[in-house]
Amino acid sequence: MRETFENRPLVACLVLPSVAVMLFAMLIPLGFSVYYSMTDWAGFGDYQFVGLENYRDILASDKVFWRALWNTALLMLVTIFVQNPIAFALAALLTNVSQRLSRILRTIYFVPAVLSLVIIAKMWVNIFNPTYGVLNKMLRDLGLQALAVSWLSNPNTAIWAVIFIIVWQGFGWALLFYYAGLMTVPRELQEAARVDGASWLQTYVRVVIPYLYPAIGAVIVIDVISSMKQMELIFLSTAGGPGQLTQFLGVYLYQKAFVSGEYGYGNALSVLFVAIAIGLTLLVRRAMPAARDAS
Amino acid sequence: MKTTRRILLAAMLLAPGLALGADKIILKMGDNLPDRTNGWGAVVERINAEFKAANPGVEIITESYPDQPYQEKMKIYATAKQQPDVFKYWSFSTLLKPMVDGRFVVPLEQATFAKYGYLPGALESNVYDGKLYGIPVSADLWVVYYNKKLFKDAGIDKVPATLEEVIALAPRFKAKGIVPMTTDGKDAWPLAITLDQLVWRLAGDSTLPRKALERKMKFTDPMFVKAATLIQQMVKAGLFQEDLGVSDYGASRNLFGQGKAAMYLMGSWELGLATDSSFSEEFRANVDAFKFPTVAGGKGRTDDLFAWYGGNYVVSSSSKNVELGKKYLEFYASRFPMLAWEKQAAFPAQKVTAQPKDTALAKTLLRIASEATATSGTAALDLSTPAFKEDLQNAVRELSSNLLSPEEFCAKVDAAAEKAARKR
Repeated sequence: MRETFENRPLVACLVLPSVAVMLFAMLIPLGFSVYYSMTDWAGFGDYQFVGLENYRDILASDKVFWRALWNTALLMLVTIFVQNPIAFALAALLTNVSQRLSRILRTIYFVPAVLSLVIIAKMWVNIFNPTYGVLNKMLRDLGLQALAVSWLSNPNTAIWAVIFIIVWQGFGWALLFYYAGLMTVPRELQEAARVDGASWLQTYVRVVIPYLYPAIGAVIVIDVISSMKQMELIFLSTAGGPGQLTQFLGVYLYQKAFVSGEYGYGNALSVLFVAIAIGLTLLVRRAMPAARDAS
Repeated sequence: MKTTRRILLAAMLLAPGLALGADKIILKMGDNLPDRTNGWGAVVERINAEFKAANPGVEIITESYPDQPYQEKMKIYATAKQQPDVFKYWSFSTLLKPMVDGRFVVPLEQATFAKYGYLPGALESNVYDGKLYGIPVSADLWVVYYNKKLFKDAGIDKVPATLEEVIALAPRFKAKGIVPMTTDGKDAWPLAITLDQLVWRLAGDSTLPRKALERKMKFTDPMFVKAATLIQQMVKAGLFQEDLGVSDYGASRNLFGQGKAAMYLMGSWELGLATDSSFSEEFRANVDAFKFPTVAGGKGRTDDLFAWYGGNYVVSSSSKNVELGKKYLEFYASRFPMLAWEKQAAFPAQKVTAQPKDTALAKTLLRIASEATATSGTAALDLSTPAFKEDLQNAVRELSSNLLSPEEFCAKVDAAAEKAARKR
């Protein structure tokens, strides 16, 4: 084994495929993106080098960019503080029911995560349809006509409806992660706590959750990254509307690059996107070990 | 035994090569007609079949997507120089001009096509820098489709002539659970075209949007503000479907075709509604159209027809079969008007004669076209840069969601026009 690792040419050969992937799939395209972000290219035809003008326009005068970041932050908060606790609580419940029931329920809860995003988006657009959708029909039948609004096109409810769809879709993954994590918690730990007189709630809050900090940390990092990457569900439901209120960076940069013909601007948006995503990930990872060590 | 096996092996390896020897030329095509069994899509399939019969050895492979995704796909293909050999496109400066400037499409011989009975101005709308770059396929008129049965059921016995009358009809349809009027609100261009139409109805002058784009006047002119106010009035009166902002082309068309909406604000290319077998017989028998209403106190007249030549077909410059592509276009030009009119699938940009078995809708559209005393040409949204088009559409979406006042809307559009003018 040691000889293998000391054989440098061999090591180089073994590492080459991964390095090649990193280079050609990530670093070189990123380099191109940075280059084009400093031009006014429309995607085809001639272009001029404009330096940092695109970045200046984005950071100083592009309200839609900041709205997109705000929406991403909202999505992250809802995912971390609403979706995760519910998923955790449900996973905890599932560990305490019979094996068969647990398996059936886990399958049901995981279905949204495997459905095609196109189907999910179109399904929810239909459910949210103000005149013919199931939701409003139910609300009207219950006598709650005032609540039967146009969920996806009302400026007050649109972003929450979109966030709901995204959180609904990702729920299965969170549940799965927490369930797998809970399965690793040694029974003895929980029993010991019970013997010491801890209530059911105290057992979870003081023993189980701290034990699962690594898993929770991993889920939060994934949540942060996937919140930033959201594109398909928004594009297929509201496409950023009404009036850019549900805009997210992924959709916005696509529209700028391929619909408005502002490819250079779109690239500048994507470079900023990468920078923000990396920055956030580093921040979250720095925050997480601290939580682990605190217990 | 070994020799036999060797011969067999050689034969197996050579066979595919021999099969490929019968070389077929593959003509790659693209269009925005995913439905190949109805309407325009079926007509193209028929033309393709006839072309293949007349040109043995040619295979045609078509890529089709719905309207907006198709446009985006073609633009993306352009960046990779992988556009289909012959594809549907639009004559607008927001779409065709960037292709011409980037030399993505080949110029065509205008003289060759002049003999195919194009309506006045049709071929000219595809000319850039003195050369013809595409053949127009449809004459697009902006009209209001309506369902005669739904009108009768609501107790309305004559079509509205003014915008005020149209808005007044809204509560009568809503009382029956019917959407008064649908249009594609998600893509915003129908309302942008309607805006230009309203400016014409108000001012009696169809050149105002063009003048504003050329910066000879501003979009904050009272005529534009008044037109924007009218659009918002239409939305606030509940004339359109409640989820206008997320209702895309297909969704709004289906609302009308399935009898859930009384009127449909769209262009003449939808004359295939009357023959679309995916809708009920009752709908097909009752669909008709009327002229876009006038505005009370406005200087525009009913027969000021908002019309342009939008759809065209072009040949890609990166095609390996340019001559075959041009030949196809000529064939298309010779067969399309008759086949399209026979199937009532599209309103061709070439002269057609009325047939006795034309649907009521087709007869109405022909009549509207023939009674027009003036036509507008392309709407402002397609006369400038793609960025302006997107900015205008975003602003229209905000206006129709009541997120902007008409004055704020006009200021936004004017700023976008200023930006576009400076870039050119």
